[in-house]
Amino acid sequence: MKSWSLVGLASAVVGCGDVQNFSGDVPPLATLHVEVTGDLEAVRPPGQTAPPDLHVALVWGQQWLTEPLCILPAESAAAAAVIAAGCRDPFGFVPAQVDRSVPVTVGTPAELELATLPDASLLVGDLTARIGYGSLVVYDDRNGDGSLTLARANRQGHPDMGPDDGAEDQPTTQIDTVYGASFVTMTAPDVRLAYREGAFVPYAFYPRAGCGDPPPAFSVDAAGGFTAAAAVSATLAGMLPPEDPATCAQSTTETVIQIPIAPPADVAELACTERNADSTVRYREPDVDVPDFTGRTTACVHVPTFGAPTDVIELIVTGVLDGATPDACKGITHYILKGCREGPDCGTPDWDHSTAPPAWWPC
Amino acid sequence: MALATAGLAAPGEAAADDRLLSDDTFAVSSPGPVVVDAGLIFGLPSALPTGLSTGVGAGITRACGCHFAYGALASWSSASESSETWTVTHGELRLRATGSIFHVAGRGTLALRLGLGGTVVREDRVRNQGMRAGLMGSDLEQTATQALPAAELEAVVTLRVVGPWALAIAGGPTGTWFDSHLRGGWTAALGVAWHP
Repeated sequence: MKSWSLVGLASAVVGCGDVQNFSGDVPPLATLHVEVTGDLEAVRPPGQTAPPDLHVALVWGQQWLTEPLCILPAESAAAAAVIAAGCRDPFGFVPAQVDRSVPVTVGTPAELELATLPDASLLVGDLTARIGYGSLVVYDDRNGDGSLTLARANRQGHPDMGPDDGAEDQPTTQIDTVYGASFVTMTAPDVRLAYREGAFVPYAFYPRAGCGDPPPAFSVDAAGGFTAAAAVSATLAGMLPPEDPATCAQSTTETVIQIPIAPPADVAELACTERNADSTVRYREPDVDVPDFTGRTTACVHVPTFGAPTDVIELIVTGVLDGATPDACKGITHYILKGCREGPDCGTPDWDHSTAPPAWWPC
Repeated sequence: MALATAGLAAPGEAAADDRLLSDDTFAVSSPGPVVVDAGLIFGLPSALPTGLSTGVGAGITRACGCHFAYGALASWSSASESSETWTVTHGELRLRATGSIFHVAGRGTLALRLGLGGTVVREDRVRNQGMRAGLMGSDLEQTATQALPAAELEAVVTLRVVGPWALAIAGGPTGTWFDSHLRGGWTAALGVAWHP
């Protein structure tokens, strides 16, 4: 009978297939090749004597704008001191999310396999043209969790005074020690991982003006960097700061990414997140009791604006700079006597101590 | 599947009438020993651990006595499910030789049918996000084909509606030998049967 013939044929090939369902090896979406170079022992902090558990992590960058205070000219020496100690590099790479990490040894090539794409929140642009950039960060996994632990600035006040994004759970001291990255700042040569979907539009998101477009999907792209002065000039002209084309490169993920060892103090910000990415400032109401300014630097300044000068005076405070555990992440706390969280010009103020400032108010 | 065991016994013949609806409108014809059927099938996939396999099937059955019949069935169905890393689609070609015992009750026929044979599974799995990441070849998509021994035991209910046509419903447990284990499941079918 015909059906029996078919059954026989089917039975004859039993075991010849390899239906796997959801099991079996999962091909990585990309494999990055990295090599850490340099002398690690020469830059290790004196207090760290345990053998380093060196890892390299892919860290996706966020679009971040520094606050006006940090880029406008300082109005006094005291303000300059606070800005120097409390403002991070406005051109630096700012981490948004830590992807995979793998152990690495100095001088030995390593591979980092990516199992997922960066999610939409890490990409800048619309559905037809969006891109994300990542930096490969070398760190000592001191807490042994297998991932780079991000920290946040130690701003003064209550931890729940910021956005409800869970960031208050992040430590204010760096647990892992960063020893280098392929992309530290836009003012120095960098090698970055790019992930592009659709067309490429040259946004002001870690720009590489003058370099070729990153290829679609994953690519390893290099740029020589630009100066801060060039960035300011280009911004005033409504342009992106140009890169030297001779320093640019766009290549596949087969390219070996060299990561030089650097002193932790120079690259510590690679593990520091930012809660406000749009240059806005969250102002705080001064308490009746004097805050603990131990180890912090303070100054009284006019509230900075890009427009007409303002008469409103604010108190700016750095993180803890001295002491047993100085803050590794930079940040400034802003106090005003009258206003709201959004600023002094918020219509009906949420607080007003202008007629009776706290006894400790120094401005 | 296959709804075949329908109407293997003979009720009375319908008579012609000039009215649109008459006493003979739903009269059923006297069938021969052969029944052909076709319809929709549903069931647990033979190899996929989850999901619903849907498709079409057809069969033929021949009575060889008052209570026994034999025949053949074929069906095609597919199911698609996803994990975090894969989207897996299984196309299943089921081929069965059947043997039935049946009992006629008025317009209806009740049958218990045993099917033995094989299921050819065609697997197509795509790495999730692979196309966006630029993967190609087997890193992006993998295919495989495997034949699995299978059997099923179905209850079949057939109701002769008009002339040579009947409505048939079937369903019951299935067993498939996959990955060195007997995997249980179920199947169901809804269709029409025709008595030539």
